[in-house]
Amino acid sequence: MTGFVAVLAATEDIPTPDVDWSAIAPNLILMLGGILLLTVVSVVRGRLPGWFHAVWTISVATAAIVAVVPLWQRVQDSGPESVLAGALVLDGFSLVVTATICVSVILAALLLEAYLRRERLGGPEWYVLMLLSASGGVTMATANDLVVVFIGLEILSVAVYVLAAMHRRRVSSQEAGLKYFVLGAFSSAFLLYGIALTYGATGSTNLSRIQAFLADTVITQNALLLGGLAFMLVGFGFKVAVVPFHNWKPDVYQGSPTPVTAFMATAVTAAAFAALLRVYVTTFGPTYRTEWQPLVAALTVLTLVVGAFLAISQTNVKRMLAYSSINHAGFVLLGVLAASAAGDAATLFYLVAYTFMAAGSFAVVAVVGRRGDGHHDLSDYQGLSRSRPGLALVFTILLLSQAGVPLTAGFLAKFYVLAAAVESGYTWLAVLAMLTAVVSAFMYLRIVVTMYFAEPEGEPRRPRIPAAAGLAMGLCVVGVLVIGIVPGPLSDVANDAVSQLVAVGR
Amino acid sequence: MLAATSSQFPVIPAMILLPFAGAALIGLLPRSRGDLFRPVALLTAVATGVLSVWMLVGFEDVARFQFQVNQPWISDLGISLHLGVNGISLFLIVLTGLMFPVAILGSTPSHDPKPYYAWLLVLMGASVGVFAAMDLVVFFVFFELVLVPMYFLIGLWGHGRRVYAATKFFLYTMAGSALMLVGIVATGILHQRGTGGPLTFDMVAIARDQVISRPATLWIFGAFAVALAIKVPLVPLHTWLPDAHTEAPTAGSVILAAIMLKLGTYGLIRFGLYLFPDAAVTLRPVLLTLAVLGITYGAVVATMQKDLKRLVAYSSVAHMGFCVLGIFSLTVQGIEGSVLVMVNHGITTGALFLLVGYIYERRHTRLISDLSGLQKSAPIMAACFTLVMLASVGLPGLNGFPGEFLSLLGAFEGARWWGVVAVTGVILAALYLLWAYQRTFHGPATGENARMKDLRPGELMVLAPLLVLIVFLGLYPAPMLERMEPSVKALVAHVDRNSDGFTAVERRYVGPAEAAEREGEGG
Amino acid sequence: MSNPLSAFLRDYLTVGIFASLAFVLVGLLLFISWLVRPDRRQAQKYIAYESGVDPVGDMWSQSQVRYYIFALLFVMFDVEAVFIFPWATQLEVFGFFGLIEMTIFIVILLLGLVYAWRKGVLRWV
Repeated sequence: MTGFVAVLAATEDIPTPDVDWSAIAPNLILMLGGILLLTVVSVVRGRLPGWFHAVWTISVATAAIVAVVPLWQRVQDSGPESVLAGALVLDGFSLVVTATICVSVILAALLLEAYLRRERLGGPEWYVLMLLSASGGVTMATANDLVVVFIGLEILSVAVYVLAAMHRRRVSSQEAGLKYFVLGAFSSAFLLYGIALTYGATGSTNLSRIQAFLADTVITQNALLLGGLAFMLVGFGFKVAVVPFHNWKPDVYQGSPTPVTAFMATAVTAAAFAALLRVYVTTFGPTYRTEWQPLVAALTVLTLVVGAFLAISQTNVKRMLAYSSINHAGFVLLGVLAASAAGDAATLFYLVAYTFMAAGSFAVVAVVGRRGDGHHDLSDYQGLSRSRPGLALVFTILLLSQAGVPLTAGFLAKFYVLAAAVESGYTWLAVLAMLTAVVSAFMYLRIVVTMYFAEPEGEPRRPRIPAAAGLAMGLCVVGVLVIGIVPGPLSDVANDAVSQLVAVGR
Repeated sequence: MLAATSSQFPVIPAMILLPFAGAALIGLLPRSRGDLFRPVALLTAVATGVLSVWMLVGFEDVARFQFQVNQPWISDLGISLHLGVNGISLFLIVLTGLMFPVAILGSTPSHDPKPYYAWLLVLMGASVGVFAAMDLVVFFVFFELVLVPMYFLIGLWGHGRRVYAATKFFLYTMAGSALMLVGIVATGILHQRGTGGPLTFDMVAIARDQVISRPATLWIFGAFAVALAIKVPLVPLHTWLPDAHTEAPTAGSVILAAIMLKLGTYGLIRFGLYLFPDAAVTLRPVLLTLAVLGITYGAVVATMQKDLKRLVAYSSVAHMGFCVLGIFSLTVQGIEGSVLVMVNHGITTGALFLLVGYIYERRHTRLISDLSGLQKSAPIMAACFTLVMLASVGLPGLNGFPGEFLSLLGAFEGARWWGVVAVTGVILAALYLLWAYQRTFHGPATGENARMKDLRPGELMVLAPLLVLIVFLGLYPAPMLERMEPSVKALVAHVDRNSDGFTAVERRYVGPAEAAEREGEGG
Repeated sequence: MSNPLSAFLRDYLTVGIFASLAFVLVGLLLFISWLVRPDRRQAQKYIAYESGVDPVGDMWSQSQVRYYIFALLFVMFDVEAVFIFPWATQLEVFGFFGLIEMTIFIVILLLGLVYAWRKGVLRWV
């Protein structure tokens, strides 16, 4: 009894944080938008038309982007700050990732609208889950506390586990959902364990405090911290599918409904990399860079090589793109590895560019997949240049961009990453990365060859291109070309964003 | 006077954008107006060609870069759209302006004219961009961009194993480019570290400052050399070339031989000598050896070919060997000869590919064994072929001669023993071309061969400018030499200034020990 | 000991001692029962023990999906309770802020319930 009273006394003055509502507006908009959509469809009698959910989702994501703009101004004017008692940060980096996630929500929603119509699936759940997942992603990107990172990761992941299994009639979708769930839960455990060890070593889960602690203190027995770093790396590695933690990716990407795959490839990747970068580069970069860099370098090598080489032996286009996204993850990791302002900016640039490339590519895949979402074999692309020249051209541009051909976003993304890597002394890795890019290029060319040069067996099929999917593809191609030809604005944003990120670190 | 006006009109951007605009226009034309594609393409290409000639007229005989345009592109990386020409790139741009109209006129696609002409025009714009780029990244952008249209040209309108050839071509070149990209990035960053200034990829600045450490330049030069050697191509990185040349449509072969191969040798001059003179001098023996290997190997393999087009393709390997030999002789004559070879090889080999294309159109075979006695059925074609072939062999009085001669002259002064071996290539060239001519055009004409139609006036008209140039540049190469001489001299002086162990005064390579000794004497 | 354990590890030492004691105890009991019991094997003795009832059917039997949904709903409110109890004991400390927080939490959960209700999950067909 006395003990209980003592606890009461000790907790007498629990500080309740001041909530800066405007600072978390984008996240709130996404989350409330999701919850409200669910409420509306539960309360309103009768079924709402399918397009309503899509329009709602796109409006919510657009509103979130709009909410980012004044925050961006604020950060540019008065510098980065932490909000909610240090749980979240408000800096340029998190804002750009937030906007990127919102863009991928918009693109995925466009795809989803066309997809659900074709597959005769309905329901607001897809959109609700996507908005909630995006909110989790934004939480991850803005987190300044390892526990918040974890919460964000869980919100993001749980929604995506369900999304992966949402196509009820496809067994492969169920399989993808289950696989993703089991392995994802496994990786979450790794992350949590790593967080616990890090807490044990540094006495805090707050990233700013950890960084300050490490800057002031030399830990003589750092095995605990190193263990924590390693475990967290495994946890993040699972999420971004770094080899050797990549095994789920091809199966899950192949099995999931294609718009969901597009969402995973863009939003989930961006959020996970943002958190990875914030934890490793900003928090542990200044003090423990030399410890984790060799490890990450080894992972980068594996990711680049395995992603490229396994991709070329695939015959399923969705799997090819899954493996190629592993290769891309290797490139992004190269930017993280650089552990410099240039590297952070390059990572950001790459993530934005990849959002357009991946979303657009999966949009094409979704359209070619036809009803049942099952026609993803390379042979299904035969003669596409004759039956659908526009579609073939769009896919070609996106694939060439992924291969890194100049005047597309992919080239400059690779260029920035290479520049950062070379600057940090990883020239050998830059060479290796480019060589794997050539191997991947072979895979992209295989698809192009099939579309343009192969004679179709039987009559070529003309896949229907719904307006929404067409719009999504158009946006992606325009995005890829604009970033590729006029990269100035985006690279300026990336640089501004990163200067703020580094400042928060100090 | 002309230069004053020319500095106001951005002729180089116009030459790059005009073909792109033409391609876009063709893309926008409806498929039903199929009759318009060819005229639009031709008009655009000719207009670009006219611009290049206008530039040639306005060019001043001085070493500096002219018609410069400098527009920031990616400011945070210090990349700018810096374009310009000097005496070395001038003629390659003019060559581009000449060969594309010829290629467009010289053959028609078997199907899908719309993308065919659009890709050709994209290729033209990108080619001009490569030769005019003065920023490393811009160079790379165009260098890579060239691949895409060529890939589709070979893959969609080629013959036989076209997909294999196209993919091989793309991947080979891209593998080289991958190394080059890292090299470019490293160059920019090391230059920035050396100067402490802002990051820049401007060739002139990097060449001027020469702040990159010697071991680093050796690695970077190596990366560039591999990429460019694939493009040239130098033995043993040449295996994509016979396939690509043979399977490409006629226009594709013409452009490949006339323009694309020059990207490699031009790059060697620009990057090898201009940016990394010291590394170029150090690694010179390797490149000279590869060049000589290419000359002899290309010639020997060409002799053994059964396919006429493949024969011409291998002859390119030999000719480009002369070009590299001239460059790395590091003498004024050698480099001048090398540029001459580039231009003249473009003209003659382009003409040869056109002629082989005409034969193929008529006979649907390129096998030498199937052809015989064409001289009787097609005397005009035989006459043209004779002239072009003799030019390619390097007969004095035709355009093949001055370049080859100057290259060899340079080699004798700068790299004697390599020169000695290279001379055998001249003899072999005569062997394989004359023998091929003898087998195809002489002898009894039987069956199809006897009925083969001669050149039509239209076809002759296409060839005519090339034939005129073959004779003119053979008899009177002085206008070209005058224009390029200041640039080449400045380049050699630049190499001389910035490298150890090599003195342009003596025009021969001396070992480092000897060089130090000499320096001691001087001091 | 020349290298004294840290206080942190000493706490774990207690856990370790207890854990090993537990293992020893269980092992000891099993050993004793093995020592004293008679050993007569019969087929019936190897059947899975289900409170004296003979087991029927396969181990991997499928349950109605409804059970899962109800289980999920139950877990949801179970967790809610876990979260609410500690808050209730500290109601005054957290004050108005805590009230708002908890209201948001409960409203979100309620929305889930409303959704489930509208979906017809609560009807037992």
